[in-house]
Amino acid sequence: MRRAGISAGALFAVVLVLAAVGASFAYLDMPLGALFSGSAVDEAVSFVKRFFPPDLSPDFLAKVGFATLETLAISLLSTLLAALAGALLALPAAGRHGVAGRVGARFILNLLRSVPELVWATLMVLAAGLGPFAGTLALALHTTGVLGRLFAEALENTPPAPAEALVGGGAPALASFFYGTLPLVASQWLAYGLYRWEMNIRMAAILGFVGAGGLGALLYYSLSLFHEAQASTVILAMLAMAIAVDGASAWLRRAAA
Amino acid sequence: MGFTLEGVGLIHANGFRALRGVDLQVAPGERLALIGASGAGKTTLLRVIAASLRPGEGRVRLLDGEPWACSPGNLRRLRARIGLVHQSPPIPPRQRVVTAVLAGRLGQWPLWKSLASLVLPADPQGAQAELARLDLADRLYERCDRLSGGQLQRVALARVLYQKPDLLLADEPVSAMDPALSELTVALLNEEAVRRGVTLVASLHAVDLALRHFPRVVGVKDGAILFDLPAASVTEALLRELYAAEGGLPLAGSVAPDEAPTTPDLPPLRCA
Repeated sequence: MRRAGISAGALFAVVLVLAAVGASFAYLDMPLGALFSGSAVDEAVSFVKRFFPPDLSPDFLAKVGFATLETLAISLLSTLLAALAGALLALPAAGRHGVAGRVGARFILNLLRSVPELVWATLMVLAAGLGPFAGTLALALHTTGVLGRLFAEALENTPPAPAEALVGGGAPALASFFYGTLPLVASQWLAYGLYRWEMNIRMAAILGFVGAGGLGALLYYSLSLFHEAQASTVILAMLAMAIAVDGASAWLRRAAA
Repeated sequence: MGFTLEGVGLIHANGFRALRGVDLQVAPGERLALIGASGAGKTTLLRVIAASLRPGEGRVRLLDGEPWACSPGNLRRLRARIGLVHQSPPIPPRQRVVTAVLAGRLGQWPLWKSLASLVLPADPQGAQAELARLDLADRLYERCDRLSGGQLQRVALARVLYQKPDLLLADEPVSAMDPALSELTVALLNEEAVRRGVTLVASLHAVDLALRHFPRVVGVKDGAILFDLPAASVTEALLRELYAAEGGLPLAGSVAPDEAPTTPDLPPLRCA
């Protein structure tokens, strides 16, 4: 019989969480008091002040503009490559080519997905050298894993009847896919692709920190040289780009619906 | 294209026995109706005839060849000559009508043509001509999810007409249509089969439609053939036995004979 009120197990769990939080503070040696002291607030204000006003000189703006274009290109190209590769891997991963294909494709997708973008970027910078090419490869590899998995799940939830009817009428497998299956998943695949594109834009802006080009590289240089005004211009550019891309993908989604 | 079934039996993957000991011989150009209560095995039988479903027992011969002894390529070419109208139209909701109809020839077209047709329809006039016979010519570029159930069923029918198969199979092709439209559609199927000299097998829920339009009527009960007779010899007693479990004969309702098109030049159907 279940009783009303908190069970002993729930009480134990709460105590355990509280103890873990306390232990974490002790272990990390975080002086909570110092965070809210007068001198800390002064220091924070002066730190923020150094970022204003942003550096809006034409020379630097041109630099930021090119870096923004580079970041956009990296995110767009990597998402497109990932969508293509993800679609190719999603077909076997959804079990359309037997059990062996399913297991193999899922393994590849898991491998690609479980390595984070920054780790891929570090590896690609070593393999392909500094620059936007490494960033594009890194994002494409990780996004292939994510999109392939999402595409496969969409395929698994799709009624097979339309494609089966076409195969029953003698249509080749590829034609049946394009006429019977793709129209059922296309809008969902597009939505997943756009969502990952938005995420990749933000990611592409950071990848520069490990030498993979774009706005991130610019931000890294200006912060390393304590040029806070320039860093703030770069951060503003990142913000503007994220807002623009959100708007663009919302518009694309509406147009496709 | 004629076909022969010998002792065909089939058990579905879930253990349900759908067919037992079915013998059926159909000559090229014959037209027959399958009738029987729902769940009697009509759909399974049609899918076996269409070489879509491989029976566990017995032999299937299509065109004097055994489809399940064919190479995959030959089986595909054989299937391209068989048109099956499915009971619930297997058409993606977001597809345009023209694409759904042109999909009937995917088995005959080379792959590049099929893919190019997705961008620019390869034969809109051909699709339009078949749709016009079903009174849907003005819906050529409509999206399929904007159509009613009966209209969608006619689009699926137009696809199979466009395929121009040698063996025309239809699984309750008029289940979503009103009586008058059902009458016209079944008449159209029969005219198509007579005009092109192809074999027609249709399962129908409405007994009177089957008896009015088909020379040969096959009663299916519990996965076996109860009777296989010329339409004129089907007696009231046989029908009572066939539908014993349903408690009454399913009828489409009567339509005045002069309403049914009988001219050979295939006039368009009028929506009721």
